[in-house]
Amino acid sequence: MFAAALLGGAVVTIQITLGAFLLAFLLGLLLAVIDSMRVMLLRALVATYVEVFRNVPALTLLFIIYFGLAQVGIRLQPIPAAIIGLGLGGGAVLTEVFRAAFRALHQGQREAALAVGMTPMMAIRHIILPQAWRVVLPPLGNYAVALLKETSVASAIAAPEIMFYARQLVTRTFETPLVYAMTSLLYLAMTVPMAHVVWRLEQRRRWA
Amino acid sequence: MIGFFQLYVTHWEDWWPDLRDAAGNTLLLTLCAFAIALLVGLLLALAKLSRSGLISRSATVFIEIMRGVPTLVILFILYFGIVPIGITLDAFVASILGLGIHAGAYVAEIFRGGIQSIHRGQREAAVAVGMTPLQSLRYIILPQAVAVMLPPLINMLVLVLKDTSVCSLVAAPEIMLRAKDLASTYFQPLHLYVLAGVMYFGMAWPLSLLARVWARRRGRGRRV
Repeated sequence: MFAAALLGGAVVTIQITLGAFLLAFLLGLLLAVIDSMRVMLLRALVATYVEVFRNVPALTLLFIIYFGLAQVGIRLQPIPAAIIGLGLGGGAVLTEVFRAAFRALHQGQREAALAVGMTPMMAIRHIILPQAWRVVLPPLGNYAVALLKETSVASAIAAPEIMFYARQLVTRTFETPLVYAMTSLLYLAMTVPMAHVVWRLEQRRRWA
Repeated sequence: MIGFFQLYVTHWEDWWPDLRDAAGNTLLLTLCAFAIALLVGLLLALAKLSRSGLISRSATVFIEIMRGVPTLVILFILYFGIVPIGITLDAFVASILGLGIHAGAYVAEIFRGGIQSIHRGQREAAVAVGMTPLQSLRYIILPQAVAVMLPPLINMLVLVLKDTSVCSLVAAPEIMLRAKDLASTYFQPLHLYVLAGVMYFGMAWPLSLLARVWARRRGRGRRV
């Protein structure tokens, strides 16, 4: 009985993780590309976004989006609110990841692309991105693990994920140690394989 | 837009004293948890570098588990989960321990990385000029390793600070708990949670900047 409820929660945990990861990925890539265009005003805007969202807790963002926006008439369901809140925060993390990856590539790569007549967009698309991809995979994986764990705070806005069911089970059965032991195992069953893949990627990069 | 800010002026005297005290608690929570994290991290790093296979493997497993489970789960185990076996912790104490042990697993990796980043030759040279292993650690390895470890440690401090928000869910009296109380009294959740966000930002941003400035200063002239 415990397992069924918690597994149902795991499905929602995975949904929120995937949704927020996709949002964070697109946002991070977009902001990093904007940043690489070297327009002062745009760079300042990207930097502001990154600083603000990196230095505010996920829980606060979720509360602003779920409870705060309802006050001005924007009512979101818990799962979309969690995806948006975690994704916006993750966008700041991944902007830095992509930005670092672009910078890690030698400046000459971009200059050479421009010299053979590519536009800046073409240079990013055909020269920078394919190489940045390999640099970016391990930190992306690390972020995915951190994100999966962070989805647990979505229980505070009643998104029916693992922790939400765990808390319900506890109030219903009082089997507190058992429920939280199973909850921990369930998270570990997802995060440990992910962390292992990241570790493998890091090893491979070290040898390359 | 102006109406939005006016509300803060109207309610400032109702809100600010409570939130200011709560911010004090958030800082206290952060510092205590970070102190525990440094201690736990040091012990785990030493255990992991130990020559005994059993000790080093146990440390690895412990670190993996802590890094694989959400902070919230660890908090709930410490606050609710061990009550049936007769251990009742105050919300504040459970929060400090939970955040501290969780962050300790990450700090251990920072310590280990820092010590291993120092080239072996440094240690060999220290031993060659007659230092004991402990002296070489004290005078040669640590001074260099600390410079490497400082930026990630400050970043960890920022993460702990942000993580304290989760302690509101075990009713530790910090910013988010107060903001939630006030929001249900005054029915202004948007204003209160935005204000909470501004307060976290005000505490976390200077630390983030410090970490970055430090990392850049050290990086200068070193990167190949």
